[in-house]
Amino acid sequence: MSALLNIDNLQAGIDGTPILNGLSLSIQPGEVHAIMGPNGSGKSTLSYVLSGKDGYEVSGGDMMFEGQSLADMAPEERAIAGLFLAFQYPLEIPGVTNMTFLKTSLNAILRGRGEDEMDAASFLRLAREKSRALGMNDEMLKRQLNVGFSGGEKKRNEILQMAMLEPKLAILDETDSGLDIDALKTVAEGLNALRAPDRGMLVITHYQRLLDFIKPDVVHVMAAGRIVKSGGPELALELEKSGYAEYVGETVNA
Amino acid sequence: MLDAQSYFDRISGDLSGDVKARAVALAAAEAAGLPTRRQEAWHYTDVARLLSKATHDTLHNIDFAPLNPLMAVFDNGRLLAAPQASGVAVSPFHHDGATADNAVLNYNAALAQDGLTAEISGDLAQPLIVTTQGDAPVHLHHKITLAPQAKAVLVDNHMSRDYTNARFDIALGAGAELTLIRVQQAGHQIGTSEIMLAEGAQIKTVALVTGGALARHEANVAFTARGAHAELHSAVLGRGENHADFTYLIDHQAADTSSNTSAYNVLDAAARGVFQGKIIVRKDAQHVDAQMQTRAMMLSEGAEMDAKPELEIYADDVACAHGSAIGELDKDALFFLRSRGLGEASARYLLVAGFIEQVLAHIDNDAMADALRALVAQKIAAQFSVQGDA
Repeated sequence: MSALLNIDNLQAGIDGTPILNGLSLSIQPGEVHAIMGPNGSGKSTLSYVLSGKDGYEVSGGDMMFEGQSLADMAPEERAIAGLFLAFQYPLEIPGVTNMTFLKTSLNAILRGRGEDEMDAASFLRLAREKSRALGMNDEMLKRQLNVGFSGGEKKRNEILQMAMLEPKLAILDETDSGLDIDALKTVAEGLNALRAPDRGMLVITHYQRLLDFIKPDVVHVMAAGRIVKSGGPELALELEKSGYAEYVGETVNA
Repeated sequence: MLDAQSYFDRISGDLSGDVKARAVALAAAEAAGLPTRRQEAWHYTDVARLLSKATHDTLHNIDFAPLNPLMAVFDNGRLLAAPQASGVAVSPFHHDGATADNAVLNYNAALAQDGLTAEISGDLAQPLIVTTQGDAPVHLHHKITLAPQAKAVLVDNHMSRDYTNARFDIALGAGAELTLIRVQQAGHQIGTSEIMLAEGAQIKTVALVTGGALARHEANVAFTARGAHAELHSAVLGRGENHADFTYLIDHQAADTSSNTSAYNVLDAAARGVFQGKIIVRKDAQHVDAQMQTRAMMLSEGAEMDAKPELEIYADDVACAHGSAIGELDKDALFFLRSRGLGEASARYLLVAGFIEQVLAHIDNDAMADALRALVAQKIAAQFSVQGDA
């Protein structure tokens, strides 16, 4: 079976500063991988490089999504191909309602895949169903996108977008940051509901606590721009106890 | 440029009112001449230069039909038919030619051929739309009065391709409420609104400029008694060499009055936006709340925004503030939208439309707001060569 995502010896940086230094990782459909690592290890950079943010330069290695190289694809082409990034800091877009945004996004992706756009009534039904499942009321759909949303509401809104767009691979960048325990549970429930045999997830987190709620198949430790150790869910628990010191030290000496 | 004297001689036979007084006003106007950049209030708007520029903007018909409006259409400076409805008393245009303290108003005093003189009473359900259209230079002087407790929606729909000097005298009686919508899509306009608010009167102005080589919108608001409130919101969608200037004098003469002013400018190519807002709080005008903010989204290096807020406060117990934020299109927001499948053009469209929407959202009547949204959508789609999905 071909990998959903295969990253091989990826080197990338910003403004001439290397951040990813030969990162390799492979995710099969249905798998949930977690990447843990200290601040500054390049976790968020990885999420931006995978999703195609301007300013990040790939200087070596490959990132293949279902056998197709992501490197030359625009962010919207990656989204249409089935990649989704849940943002660490979801952006506020004044003057655009959540509903308008979701509809524009979903239809852009359907159009990009050569499928028919969704009519207004079907869209409304779908948006309401998905948002209610996440404990969001209809009022939140009418509000301006993320404007005045609490941290928890913003993160829930990211999961709503994911539920609407049904990506093949979701990258969750510090989705747990800024959430209290109740909000964390809601978000995790939403994510668990989206686990599927044909969908992969890459959960980027600094803390182990999110992984109490979303059980990963594989845990990677990232330091200084590459994966320095991989293992099962027990690796996350181990990190929680011992911290990142040994990995940071190792890479400094390497 | 317009030769005012020969123009005056030509039309003076048709002018109503005191022609001699008008000749005096004309002499005063000609002596001073149109404003130049040496005058502080005109520092950023070079009238002579801008009048020499052609205007190429497309005029779109705004679909007001769903609002079942009352229409007052001025075609090349003449009112085609007076609006008729109970609650609107229209008087024939009459001008006394009184000399004012600036050349723009003196030219208007001398040359105004027509204007809508209307007194509105009660709750006027239909919006009153004053459309200025044609391809000749015109001077218009409108006088709109709202009786105490009256409620109305007035639209200043500027569709002329040529020069317009328009004066609006707007007086709101005690407790009256007026929503004033202004739109300019093209042409050269110098507009002056003299707004008087009696006790508890409320005016909300939402202005939209989508084009024009010269769009000068000056408003002088006098809060004459307690409880008066004004909101002045403007949105500019400028490209090419569009020039849009909003200049306000917000004069809180009475205690317990409030104002809220916002100016949103999206400027592309070599477009220029000007905002000058002066808030005065007079000596005994305690408990005034006056807020003012300017926002500009610069889409090109050749575009320019000049923002000059001023506070002049003589009372000691007031809450006044102004803020200004000028920036480019938010790259992170652009990336966010693209990561959700929107092409770059669609993403830019949505961000610009959202920016302008923050002004249009002040319009309470959905059908009215939708009519302006449709105009904005057409303009942005033309600007970015995309079809709006929203």
